[in-house]
Formats: sequence, C-alpha cells, structure tokens
Amino acid sequence: MAGVEEAVSKMPPPVPAIKKKRSLPGTPDPEAEVIALSPRTLLATNRFVCEICGKGFQRDQNLQLHRRGHNLPWRLKQRSGDRAAPRKRVYVCPESSCVHHNPGRALGDLTGIKKHYCRKHGEKKWKCEKCSKKYAVQSDWKAHAKTCGTREYRCDCGVVFSRRDSFITHRAFCDALAEESARVSAAYNVTNAASIADSADYLFLQQGLNAKPNPFPHLTPPTQFKPNAASINQLLDMGLVAGASTFYGDLVGPNPSRFNWMQSNKFPLSTSEFSPSALPAASSSSSAVDLTESAPALFAAPSLHHPPAPDMSATALLQKAAQVGVTSRMGFAGSFEPSSYKCQSTADGSKFDGVQFAQNHASMLKDFLGGETRDFLGVGVGLQSLCHSSVNGWI
Amino acid sequence: MQKPPVPFTSALNLALDPDPFSADPTRPWAADLLRDCARAFSERDSANLQRLLWMLNELASPYGDREQRLAYAFLQALFCGATASGYHCYTTSLAVAERAISFASTLRLALKFQEAAPWTTFGHVAANGALLQALDAVPAIHIVDVSDTFCTQWPTLLEALASRAEVDAPRIRLTVVASAASAGVMSEIGVRIQKFARLMGVPLEFRAVAAPSSPRFADALRPEELELRDGETVAVNCVSALRRAGNGGSRDAFLRAAAALQPMVVTVVEDEADFAGVGEYAESFEECLRFYGAYFDMLEESFPATSNERLALERESFRSLVGVLACDGRGPDRVGDGERRERGRQWCRRLERCGFKTFGFSDDVVDDLKALLRRYRPGWSLLPAEGDSSGMYLTWKEEPVVWSCAWKPK
Repeated sequence: MAGVEEAVSKMPPPVPAIKKKRSLPGTPDPEAEVIALSPRTLLATNRFVCEICGKGFQRDQNLQLHRRGHNLPWRLKQRSGDRAAPRKRVYVCPESSCVHHNPGRALGDLTGIKKHYCRKHGEKKWKCEKCSKKYAVQSDWKAHAKTCGTREYRCDCGVVFSRRDSFITHRAFCDALAEESARVSAAYNVTNAASIADSADYLFLQQGLNAKPNPFPHLTPPTQFKPNAASINQLLDMGLVAGASTFYGDLVGPNPSRFNWMQSNKFPLSTSEFSPSALPAASSSSSAVDLTESAPALFAAPSLHHPPAPDMSATALLQKAAQVGVTSRMGFAGSFEPSSYKCQSTADGSKFDGVQFAQNHASMLKDFLGGETRDFLGVGVGLQSLCHSSVNGWI
Repeated sequence: MQKPPVPFTSALNLALDPDPFSADPTRPWAADLLRDCARAFSERDSANLQRLLWMLNELASPYGDREQRLAYAFLQALFCGATASGYHCYTTSLAVAERAISFASTLRLALKFQEAAPWTTFGHVAANGALLQALDAVPAIHIVDVSDTFCTQWPTLLEALASRAEVDAPRIRLTVVASAASAGVMSEIGVRIQKFARLMGVPLEFRAVAAPSSPRFADALRPEELELRDGETVAVNCVSALRRAGNGGSRDAFLRAAAALQPMVVTVVEDEADFAGVGEYAESFEECLRFYGAYFDMLEESFPATSNERLALERESFRSLVGVLACDGRGPDRVGDGERRERGRQWCRRLERCGFKTFGFSDDVVDDLKALLRRYRPGWSLLPAEGDSSGMYLTWKEEPVVWSCAWKPK
C-alpha cells in the first residue's frame, strides 16, 4: 500500500524493568521495531487488501478470515514475502507536538495508535444527537450514545436531574453548595487552617485534611489542580464540591439527613459485611484528625473506634454489629434486607471467610441496586470497582 | 330532539355564532370576545364596551383554563385603558413586585421555567454558543450582561469554558446591568455564581449595577460606568434588554453606546412581537393576542395545572399588557415603553443602522439548539431567519415567539 513509511530503529536504552507490571501507556519494549506511519495511513480505514479480489478490511484478522474463503492451495496461503520471526512492532504518532511522537513513548498496538491519532489530532466527525458532543472515533461515539440521556445527576440537596444543563444551572445556585462551603471551611479552621493559603478552594479540602484515606488518589493536590474535561464531570457528579452525601463525601462534611436514599433505614446491622482489614486503617486516621465539630456522627459508631481483631470471623462481626445501632452513615449496608444476613449467620460460622463475604456483598449490592449497575455517583463507575472502592476506602 | 342545556360559555358563543347547534364549549372563545372589546374601545363606544367588559369579567379567571386566564390578562389592560389608569396601574404593579422579590422565589421561578420550557434556555444556549465561538482563544473577557436572567445563563457557559480541552479557562469579569427591582437579590446571586466559578476553576470577578431608567438606559454602557480595563475583550449580552431602552431614539442610543465599547460580540435575545407601533390600536391589539395567546398556551401545556410558577409568570404578563395597551409613555420614566417589543426583523434594521453586522450561528450552535429542544415536550421548533433579517427563532406550534442573534461591530 502506498503511503507507508517505515523508520526502523532500535529503542533507546530504557530503565531496566525487573518486575513485569503494567506501565504507562506508551512505554514499549526496547527491542521493538519502531514504525512511523503517515497521518493518511493512520486515518485510512481499509488498510488490509485482499490480493485476490481487492476487497479492503480494517483489520488483518478480518482479511485472513476472508482469504480462507477463496479456497487457496496451501502454498499460496503463505503471505508474500518470507518473514523471519516477526519483531514486535511499536508505532509513533506523526504529530510532532504529541507525547507519543517520541519513540520512547510509542504505542504497541496498531489499532491503538490509529485511535489515538484520530481522537487527539483527527477531525471529530461523529456527533451525538442528544447532546451534540463530538467524537473522532466511531466506536467512542457509539459507546457514548448508549449512555447519553440515561445518566442521572444527583445534587447534594437531593434533587435528581435527567438533564445535564439543568443540573449544572441548579448546582450553581443550590443552597447545598453555599452551606457546605461554609461548613467545610469551618472544619478547615479546626484542622489545617495554616496549610491552606488564601486560595479558598473548598474543593480541595479533602486533600487538605491529609490524614483521611483518600478515595480519589487520581486527583492531584490543590496547588496543581486544574479541572479538565474529565474531572469537571467528576466534580459535578460526585458532589465533590460540597463533599457531602456521597459515599466518600461523608468523610469530610457529614450531614446524616442528606443521605436521601437511606432515610427509611430500619435495618439494625452496620458495617459488619466489610472485610475487617478496612476498619483499622480508617480508625487510625479518624483518631488522628479532630473533626468532632463538623463530623459528629461519622465517628460515633463504636465499630470504628474499636477495630475488630483481624482474625475475627465474619459471624462474630455480625453478632457484634447486631449489638450496635446503625447510623445513617453506615446505613448503606444497613439498608440491605436483613433476611439475607440471617441466612448467612445461621450457617456454620467456620465456613465463612472474607472472600465469601465480599462476594455476598457484591450480589447484595446488585440486588439493592435493582440488578442494574446504576451508579449513584453518576460517573459510570462499574459495579465491580464500586464495590472495591467502597470496601477499601469507605470508612 | 331535545339538546341538553349548554354551559354559559357556550351560551355566549350561541349569541355570536349564527349556527346555534354547532356550539362547542371547548372552542377558543377569548380571542373573539376580546376583539369585540378592542373594537368598542377604539370606537369609544362606552355602552358596548361596558357590556362587553362585564361579560369578560364574568368569564375570565386567573385560575381557570388558558382561555379564562388570557381573558383575565386582557381584562386588566382593557379596564385600565378604559379608565385611563394605565400609568398608575403599571407603576403600582411594579412596586408590589419589587417589594415581594426574594432570592429564593426569584431563582425558583427562573429555574422551574427553564425546566418546563425552552423559552429562556433557547436564548441562553444561542448566546452562549455565539460567545464561545467569538471568544475562542481570548484570555481575559469582560461580559456586560444586560438582563434580568439572574445569571442563570452563566453556569453552563462557565462549565463549557472550563471543559475546553487544550485551552486554559479565560479570566472572566461579569458586570450585570439589572433592573432596579432585582438589585436586592443580585448580591446573593453574585456570591453563588462566584463560588460556582471557583469550583469550575474559572477566575470570575462579579459586579452588579442597577440599570438607569429608560430614557437614560444608554448610560449603563458608559466606559467609566463599566470600569473597563486594558487587555480585556468586551462582550455584551442583551436578553430582553434592548426593549427596556425606552423609545426608538433611546434604543438607537443604547446600541451606539454598545458599539462604542468595541465589543468582540454582542448577543441579543428578544421576544418576537411588534408592540412598538403606537398607531392603530386594533393592530397592536391583534399582535398582543397573537403573542400572549401563544405564551399562555405554552404555559398551560408546559406546567402542571396548579403551578404557582405559571401563575407568577402570567401575573408578569398582566403588567406587560397594561404597559402596551394602556400606557402612552407618560411621565419622565416613559412608563410602559419597556414593554414595547419589536420583532427580530426590526431589531436587525436598528443594529445595522447603529454600526453592527450580523455574526451567524455556527452549525454546532444550531445542533446544540436542536438537542435542547429535544429535551422538552413536543411543540417547539427552530426557524432560521430569512431574507433581510438574521438569527434564529424559537417557535411554539409554528408561531415564532423568541428571537436570538449575534452581532459584531462593522
């Protein structure tokens, strides 16, 4: 095919990687062959052409499948050109200002470099009908179209919106926003008043209170924070500003009445279904930070103050929890059907282990959510990751 | 064959309709009755007018259906006209509204209206779209917001500016020129919009000033009033503002003052109606019927029957109608002139005369507008302006009701 320029070179010596762990996108194998394709090639959709009938395909696998249909004798099945054991190929982006233009950050997958080039440097030809968001890659557009308009946006004050623009406008003037900023800045004064300069960014209070387990490690510290497109969504949807009434927000700005979906909480059980390992971490952090002014209920539950011994069985946790009243803080778990708990606890306690508990938790969570991966935070977080993060970072 | 007894409203139609057995209680009756009133009024036929107004009073109600509410709205204006109390009625009504205004109620009304119908959001999306287009790479922007939207237009703009990839959010200075009645709530509005901007990571400086009364409306745009600074790009946003600039001469003065600021873009949103022709009463009246007929119809279909917000919006219309039909521009403030809307076509001529040329909406903006309308109940559609006028109309059941357009100095 015309337009393919190959620049074959060896990779510059990299930092030796002893352990095989998942690295940054574009940290390729040093022995790989670097290919620099032209923009035209990258944007072309049917690169792979059948030499028999001339039909074009997007992927090599599809072409091979097609060739089988021609019933070729075995000799001609070999691709033209005798290739030695093929070297691993990595691809660089032709856009000189791009980070992936550097061979040290080349991408290892042809489809990957094509998608990257299209998304970052290509023309956005695909447009969502409902919200007119534009995409350069068709599969991205299709994926968006599935979820567009089905998302719900929940404000801290409890109102739910199906429209993003109404949500944004409401949010800007919402009482919850104004109130929470006031309350959180009071908490500030108690703890880290000195460390926060005049930039009263309520947003970063969670990071400022650094003794807290940080459920959002991906957010950068205040001084470097610049909301980009992705994090804007997170800021709005997660109610991060006010820091209240989301799973994680309770750590900072508690207000039990804000947990709308647990107000009818009548189940006596609390956090016992979470693995014991999560609790000690939380309680040590809780004692380190004095937030009694602003977080009275958060640390009221005895299960936090007295972390159970790590080898305590799940059954024992259940029994212990049954003695403790539930606060709406822990109530997410508490709102599960007690019948399912009873079912577990009457089983032989020795058969229980943490894994089993986590699995049960996941299925109970799913039931509670009505069998769908409806995410209350509105950030499209998958069910699995929701479980994980809640287990590890919630308390 | 005996027909069942018909309700009173149909009895009225029986009187007006040559064929009594075609009477339909659900047929729109208000417009015809109102036209009769208007005719009696302009012919100074007081006996007939009195009889018709009595009938109107019997049938109208601010809590009834669309016909009854429309009748009630016009009843106020006709009565004021007949008793030459338009000036008094208008100023009293305005004073009452000013006293009752509160942050919570004002915001609730604005937001609920935006939820129920695209009447206001159409203008916001169009204007914001033009602003984003015109101010693409500008680092410091001064937006002069001449409107009574209570900053409900700006959160989505701030979010859009913050979400732009590759480009840092610009510094924004927002000067709101609001009517004197809104002055009380603007401080709280300002606090909140600044907090929100901080959340978005957009540096925002806020200031609210009270608009001068209509003959001196152009004073609001004096550079010293706006405290212009070097290095900032000016954008002027006029939502239902041009008509508040008094009569024709004052309107031109306001536009010229805007041009003198050398703005990058001027966005205009106005109701699509011609109430400025003070000539023939019957013509003005007909235009009022068309516009407010569509408005009340839209309100009925967009809000639940017992909505307080709908009542509040209709109450504002009562005042507007009094201003249009029963005020003659008396007094130093030229009371009622602010209600004299002009059509998009007429504004286009004015803007061109005062040193502006049109700045078309991009395809993206049009797509955004289409997507916006899709989020509401059916009945709404877009109509691009044609011929010698430019911009975009929002239509309700094919009737153009709101006009929006963007301009830059020639």
